[in-house]
Amino acid sequence: MSMSSLFNSFKNYMVKYYGSDHGKMLVHTGVIGWVLSAAAQVVAIATNDKISGKQKLYLIPQELADAAVNIASFYLVTQSFKALSNKLVNCGKLLNKPVREFLQANNIKNVGKHTFDVLRDGNLNPETLEKFKSFRSGVDFIGTTVGSILSCNIITPIIRNEIATHKQKKNLARMEKYNVQIRDNETKNTVPYLPKPTMQTFQAKAYGTSLKI
Amino acid sequence: MSNINNINFIGRMSSAMSSTVLSRIPNMTIANKKVLNAINTVGAKFSSPENRLILGASALMTQPFIDASNKKVDEETRKVSVARTVAKIIAGTFTGYFVRAGCIKLIDYMTKLPNEVVNPKTFGGKLKTLFTPDAAKSGILKDLTKYKNALGTILALGVMLVTNFLIDAPLTKYLTNKFVDYIHKNDAKREEKA
Repeated sequence: MSMSSLFNSFKNYMVKYYGSDHGKMLVHTGVIGWVLSAAAQVVAIATNDKISGKQKLYLIPQELADAAVNIASFYLVTQSFKALSNKLVNCGKLLNKPVREFLQANNIKNVGKHTFDVLRDGNLNPETLEKFKSFRSGVDFIGTTVGSILSCNIITPIIRNEIATHKQKKNLARMEKYNVQIRDNETKNTVPYLPKPTMQTFQAKAYGTSLKI
Repeated sequence: MSNINNINFIGRMSSAMSSTVLSRIPNMTIANKKVLNAINTVGAKFSSPENRLILGASALMTQPFIDASNKKVDEETRKVSVARTVAKIIAGTFTGYFVRAGCIKLIDYMTKLPNEVVNPKTFGGKLKTLFTPDAAKSGILKDLTKYKNALGTILALGVMLVTNFLIDAPLTKYLTNKFVDYIHKNDAKREEKA
């Protein structure tokens, strides 16, 4: 068995799923990347001595929320942008000049309609097909990147900060409640301190009750 | 059964909605040569490293300001949060870009078409076609650019599993502390002047 054939099924999978779809690969790798990055960042915050406990109560939830919201908004916003940009190009709403001219010259009908598919219904010749694919790939990258900017750099920071603020307040309140409880317990359990125990005080303490009887 | 009906209903609704939205968008044609060249270049040459750079640059323009405007936390926490966000963006973009670009280069070296390899039977020759898919060897797949980018990005993910912990996070920590020190020094100077 050759070295190359060892990876055959993996290579075929890659060709089938990512070989022509740029945006899909960016979405999938982005999600896994965030989870890994968040895990490393949480460790870094937790072990940073220069950050106070109170600040850690904000920064750790902020980091965790960042990963979670990023994944959600990436699927909702970025995927929507990717789907919309793909749909616009595939149905012929948004095209480059050579492809539009080809479709018009060949009197292709329903271009731009919801059900139209340039690849299926356009009867493109090889040269125009190449131009169409190149244009579609570019629009796909731009759509995915614009969606990513909106979701990762605007929507996510706003939501993650809200979540982190809420978590910090909740944890601070819980800590305060715990501290008050400890203080109360300390006051209740206080035993009177005898500065200089003598035989008399010891006897009074030990037999005081029985002597009274 | 009712679930299937609901799903069908949602599917029909979403299809109807996208159809309505699409019908309101006019047909657009991009004729400007410069714009077309830019779109084609982006589609042919840009991949995840460039995506990471663009995201990093735009993150620096938005995220620190969003953190700084969160008045629901105290001022000190806000300052640390801004410092950490800037540090994380710089460290993440730096390592993210170089790891992804490096992995794509490595894959490019190991995914040559058979006609590009001078001595295919030597170890070096076999290494150069290690990741070449069968479809390319038989001549069906002629352009391997996107396949290489995808494979490089997947490899980068594996590498980043290590670099996230060994480079990204420690670098973020180091930069955060530097920025926080800088902010504190500036605050002290301002107080002295006041």
